[in-house]
Amino acid sequence: MSEASEKQKAMKLAQEAAASRVNDRSRDIGEFVPAPDDDIIVCRCEEVTKGEIRKAVHDGMWTVTEVRRYLRTGMGLCQGQTCGRLVKGIIARELGISPALLEPATSRVPMRPLEMHIFANEEKEE
Amino acid sequence: MKRYDLVVVGAGPSGLSAAIEAAGRGMHVIVFDENEKPGGQLFKQIHKFFGSKEHKARVRGFRIGQELLEEAGRTGVEVCLRATVIGLYQDHELVVRIGDAIEHVKGDTIIIATGASENMVTFEGWTLPGVIGAGAAQTLMNLHGVLPGKRVLMLGSGNVGLVVSYQLMQCGCEVAAVADAAPHIGGYGVHAAKIARCGVPFYLSHTIKKAEGTDHVTGVEIAQVDEHFQFIPGTEKHFDVDTICIAVGLSPMSQLLKMAGARMADDPKKGGQVPVCGRFGATSLPGVFTAGDVAGIEEASSAMIEGRMAGAAAAAYLGFMNEDACEKREKQLTDSLSELRQGMFAPQNKGKQLTVTDEGIPLSKTLLTKGYVSDEEIEAFPGFTHRVGVHPVIECTQNIPCNPCQDVCPKNCISIGDQITALPKVAGGAECVGCGMCVASCSGQAIFLVDEDKGDGTAEVTIPYEFLPLPAQGTVGTALSRSGQPLCRASVVQIRSGKAFDKTNLLTMSVPKEFAMRARFFRADKEAAK
Amino acid sequence: MSECAEVIVIGGGIIGCATSYFLAKRGVSVICLEGSDYIGNGGSSRNGGGVRQSGRDPRELPLVMYGIRKYWPTLSEELDTDCEYHQDGNLRLGKTEKHRQILEGLTAKAQAVGLDVRMIGGDEVRRINPYLSDEVTCASWCPTDGHANPLTTTLGFYKAARRLGVRFITGEKVYALRKVRGRLRKVLCTSGNVYEGDTIVLAAGYDSRAIAATVDIDLPMQKIMLEALVTEAEPPMFRQMLGTADADFYGHQTNHGSFVFGGSSGLEGFTKDNGTPICCSLTAPCICRGILKYFPDLADAKIVRTWAGWMDFTADGVPILGYVPEVPGLVLECGFCGHGFGIAPGAASQIAELITTGTTAVDISALRYDRFKAKI
Repeated sequence: MSEASEKQKAMKLAQEAAASRVNDRSRDIGEFVPAPDDDIIVCRCEEVTKGEIRKAVHDGMWTVTEVRRYLRTGMGLCQGQTCGRLVKGIIARELGISPALLEPATSRVPMRPLEMHIFANEEKEE
Repeated sequence: MKRYDLVVVGAGPSGLSAAIEAAGRGMHVIVFDENEKPGGQLFKQIHKFFGSKEHKARVRGFRIGQELLEEAGRTGVEVCLRATVIGLYQDHELVVRIGDAIEHVKGDTIIIATGASENMVTFEGWTLPGVIGAGAAQTLMNLHGVLPGKRVLMLGSGNVGLVVSYQLMQCGCEVAAVADAAPHIGGYGVHAAKIARCGVPFYLSHTIKKAEGTDHVTGVEIAQVDEHFQFIPGTEKHFDVDTICIAVGLSPMSQLLKMAGARMADDPKKGGQVPVCGRFGATSLPGVFTAGDVAGIEEASSAMIEGRMAGAAAAAYLGFMNEDACEKREKQLTDSLSELRQGMFAPQNKGKQLTVTDEGIPLSKTLLTKGYVSDEEIEAFPGFTHRVGVHPVIECTQNIPCNPCQDVCPKNCISIGDQITALPKVAGGAECVGCGMCVASCSGQAIFLVDEDKGDGTAEVTIPYEFLPLPAQGTVGTALSRSGQPLCRASVVQIRSGKAFDKTNLLTMSVPKEFAMRARFFRADKEAAK
Repeated sequence: MSECAEVIVIGGGIIGCATSYFLAKRGVSVICLEGSDYIGNGGSSRNGGGVRQSGRDPRELPLVMYGIRKYWPTLSEELDTDCEYHQDGNLRLGKTEKHRQILEGLTAKAQAVGLDVRMIGGDEVRRINPYLSDEVTCASWCPTDGHANPLTTTLGFYKAARRLGVRFITGEKVYALRKVRGRLRKVLCTSGNVYEGDTIVLAAGYDSRAIAATVDIDLPMQKIMLEALVTEAEPPMFRQMLGTADADFYGHQTNHGSFVFGGSSGLEGFTKDNGTPICCSLTAPCICRGILKYFPDLADAKIVRTWAGWMDFTADGVPILGYVPEVPGLVLECGFCGHGFGIAPGAASQIAELITTGTTAVDISALRYDRFKAKI
């Protein structure tokens, strides 16, 4: 088999695995290969770099949610508004799958950062 | 707990339209918006909109916003500003932060119209101050009167990138270049042509390699990319800029729906994570509807119709409208929306590379890569005619849903026909009186009045002109070509700024007659400008 | 690839990941099945991060004390992951006479098991943590308690276990167990996949109840929703783990600077489950009010996120651990009642020891599955 068609087959398998939801985390995704842009910051709020995200994928963090919990990407003030899409793209590329197959991180209350004393202050019914 | 017939989240074009539609049918409606002013993005849109009369074509976006607000007031919609909806909970409950407290509110129906946020791309130095979203630049300029920078590089040639580039120039910024990683300009050709004729260069298949500077942007390096978006060594170009604007698309702000458990889907054609919607914006949560960019990135005109649809759907859901009336209204709105979703840029054509117009005319290749139609290509289009005496020359070369030019000409010189996306034609025997209404009403600024031969070796070209200071009659300067290249000397013969022109000034310049069909912009001499 | 392993672990939370890790370290082949799409998606990623002995039931106390002595201090190195463990003590705070009585009762019980924990007065409390309001009049103080980062610790166990060859499969929802010739052998998944093991460890939180039922074992557990929130990063203030006698909130400041607090509204146990991640609209405001009574300085700290998670709450408030003689091959490791994080290394290492040697260093017999009896 040629290198290109082998690559294509691996890509197809990866897509199928991701789409079926059953996700065998022992699937071979290859070794981490350093890249020149690894030190670019991707998550501005928490200052997480592209290289850290790529390494996390090789440590087994194969979902946006796991990378988030492992590295804090998207855990800052903007809650991933800016980096969410970027992180998803990096993980997908590292896994060799389409970003559309990766579920974005869960959205949660509050939509905007909220001071504790305001959150505590519920308007009472008259 | 306070309860409304309808709670709308977001007072942008779709949210306000939804509220108006519902309130008009007797519903008790409140709209929450976190901003100080309502209108969403509309108040930043200082340009004239496309479409038909019904879609408020040739009306500037902020005026549409004012009209919507007035209508909301008349129909009894309560618009609650500086009110951030922090969560959508079970049982149609919203928690809203207002001032120093939170309030629990319920709506028998809810319409989420939270719009979209700007995408970012990463490159070396992208976190430096001076790298901003194009939408953010627009907010600075048009809402707060703050200049984002002096010299700007725009990344992204979609309509946002093109429109904001033009507005940056209107504010007095210099746009060093527009770059885009894609091989073709993404936005309307007429928007690109507007800035190309001012001399802004386009770099397609180019993207940013790095932003330069230590504590703020002092320059940018772009380079060409191959078909796999990898940089081609040796193609680097440097620009001294203090601002880099990023206009690489929008992402729906669908978090409220997602957190409430609405069924979501990742749809790259819609811009990302969007709720799965049934008819008229119905989400998978009963009684919860959605409208506008949050359900798929489009533009304000379709957002307003979608808002109307969701409003009508909410009214029908609660019995404020009977089945028949609802069906009739929805048919009307669907037709209106289909009219907008036509032509080369329609959602169904996203990602397709068309080569000819509906009329079978080859699309301009230079327009898609350089932002202007070449002198040879332009001759093929039906609006581009040669005649004796003053006459309109229409450089509208793509099938987009827009037809004000046909409506405004008192002499019926211009025809588009029933198909709103058809290219405008200059009608046979009709007599142009040179009133200039077509020039001022073309949202794409693609119509010129030309008198090709004044009999003294000169020609007169009337162009739409939206820059300040307005050159006085008699001002001398240079006529620029469609590509923004200096062509010849020119002098201002007349400036017209009628109320009907709605702030699009008509500048008539005199040029040697051989440049009649090429001179498309005027730049006053530096001395004269003073 | 073979769908067989010596041990099949059901559940990819911290209990499942840690058990897989300790088994693999002992040379056992393991497949770990997680029903959701994410590792550590239940209570493991949703708790307040307490690594706490004080306040626990004496039946589970020896297990957590063992874990804190043996594993927690060196866990970051062991897992090659920063678990952010701090052993800076736990203050369980009280404001009223009733609180004092609750705290004294808990303290006496723990002292009887040999834990270093004592009652202190309001002034001493504020010497340990000067940010506490004057309303605080007493506390129980356990200096060997602490906290860690539940997210990185759970994923750290996963990462380390994976490196040791454990095969993790997410999105693989188990619906039934099957005996083969009198011994538990098969694990059936909704995907249609079947896994086989000599031993099957059931560590699936509340879902363990439905799975155990397929081999006719009932685990008396309830599902109770608990909520938590996190602030933006604040300047460093204190390192202790905190709780209150009234259980109105608990939490700590993380290395990152953010405060993670869990708490309750009093409506737990009655929360509606519509299958969404949404919390109850009343809880976060209530937690905030609770916190601000103790920490007025946090009034302006911005909350960036709230979340909810389900506890697998057993009838008597302690976990269910160990073999099920009626179903040879089945090992239970569930029902941690919302305090399974700190105890995880202790419990998991003991279960691994039980499976490989047949005995445990710490006596876990009080946590047997068949301890539940009628009251009269």
